[in-house]
Amino acid sequence: MQKHRRRVVGSALLVVALAALSLAGSAQAKLGGEFTKFANCPYTNATALKCIYSVTESGEVLLGSKKVPIEKPVVLQGAYASPVEEKEEAEFYPFLAATNGITLSKAPQNVPGGILGIVPEASSPFLVKALIKFFLENSLTGVNSTLELAKPASAIRISENNLAGEIGTALQMPVKVHLENPFLGKKCYVGSESSPITWNLTTGTTKPPAPNTPITGSGGEGELLESAKILKLNNNLLVDNSWSAPKAAGCGGILSFLVDPIINAQLGTTTAGHNTAKLKGTLYEASAFTVNKYDKEHP
Amino acid sequence: MRTKAKAIGVALAALAVLCAMFATSASAASWKFEGKSLEGSEVVVGAAIDSSLTIPGLTTKCANFLYKLNIKNEGTTGKGEVTELPLYECTTDQPEVCTVKTIAAEKLPWAAKVTTVTTSNYIVIEGIKVAIKYAGIECALGGITVNVTGTAGGLLDNATETATFNSTTFGATKTELKALATKIQWTGLFPTEAFQWHREQALSVS
Repeated sequence: MQKHRRRVVGSALLVVALAALSLAGSAQAKLGGEFTKFANCPYTNATALKCIYSVTESGEVLLGSKKVPIEKPVVLQGAYASPVEEKEEAEFYPFLAATNGITLSKAPQNVPGGILGIVPEASSPFLVKALIKFFLENSLTGVNSTLELAKPASAIRISENNLAGEIGTALQMPVKVHLENPFLGKKCYVGSESSPITWNLTTGTTKPPAPNTPITGSGGEGELLESAKILKLNNNLLVDNSWSAPKAAGCGGILSFLVDPIINAQLGTTTAGHNTAKLKGTLYEASAFTVNKYDKEHP
Repeated sequence: MRTKAKAIGVALAALAVLCAMFATSASAASWKFEGKSLEGSEVVVGAAIDSSLTIPGLTTKCANFLYKLNIKNEGTTGKGEVTELPLYECTTDQPEVCTVKTIAAEKLPWAAKVTTVTTSNYIVIEGIKVAIKYAGIECALGGITVNVTGTAGGLLDNATETATFNSTTFGATKTELKALATKIQWTGLFPTEAFQWHREQALSVS
């Protein structure tokens, strides 16, 4: 009897779960074609001007002496509202968070050399490279670095004219880097909400303090999709090598007073002029009105 | 002995390569009126018979695409500069989505020169910058200033007294226009007509 009741309850829960999933699915299924990219855009928000979906597919983040290649895609999505300020002759738009809460996706990137930071020379034999990777980048000794927003999405600023015009700051984003490893605990961060890493990413040329030298991004190759309703920028390259980063903190749990200095020694100097961000990917943009209209016309 | 022969062979081969390079490279040509080389300067004006500019996915046309070009010869080379380029009544091929809010030539004058590639004469315009602002609540380019920049090479036809710009002429002159960091297509047919001292005289280039 008890067993039967349990089975009934279990079946009911399964049905509810499936129903919930199908509802969630249908909410997104309305957007078709290239518009599916904007499923998490707050296009029904009256202040939303344009929906944005940007995938960083490659690039690197150099934090002090640690270079982390971007191997797993990172998605920035949401919308931006009417301009709030003018800077460098460009209008800066405030960001609106993605409706699913994932404005910036968390994609853990492997830190070459793991916790010991031993990276073989590029000219090292394959076997040496493989062995170092095996011993130093496994689940115990390996370190993942995850980029996270340090402040609410509303702190992000975007200038579409600078983005397309390859001048000035195109995307300003407060971020923090989450370093993950069983020994580092769950709260090992470089940057925080009160002391974020502020990236002023440009598609133009940077003016960094020494020892860094200017680097140049790219607006990417533009094309218009869906009868000029969607702008796609292929090979969009956003760069910044003028940013500074605070010291790592919270590493090693209760032993952070011991572990933080070790991590900071590994990172080396992280003041402005010693760090670089290069984010290469594809960017999609459409007016929130258009996405909303498409959604209504395709129930 | 064998070394000397080889050296002469190499030298001849190098010479042949150089000759071939010069044969395909551009050379200069000058402006002429009624077959006589232009002395001093002249103003050439015209309006595009047909012209369009295509960013992948969106083509823009202007019903009134005028130009004013000051020309002169420097030695045996035809030179010039585009001093005015008023653009009016511009529309897109997606009129329900994108309209042209403003379009204007910037950083005028643009330098121009006449060049000969193989047997054809071309006008090459440098330092082009046209700023286009599109509008439309559904237009993906709405609110963005699209800057068209680069150089453009057009074929000069003495028989019809026109300059034709298209992908073939851009290729022949190794010129390109870009917008949104993307190579764009510009096609246009422009009559060339003297407006000042040589009115109604046949303009040619050779």
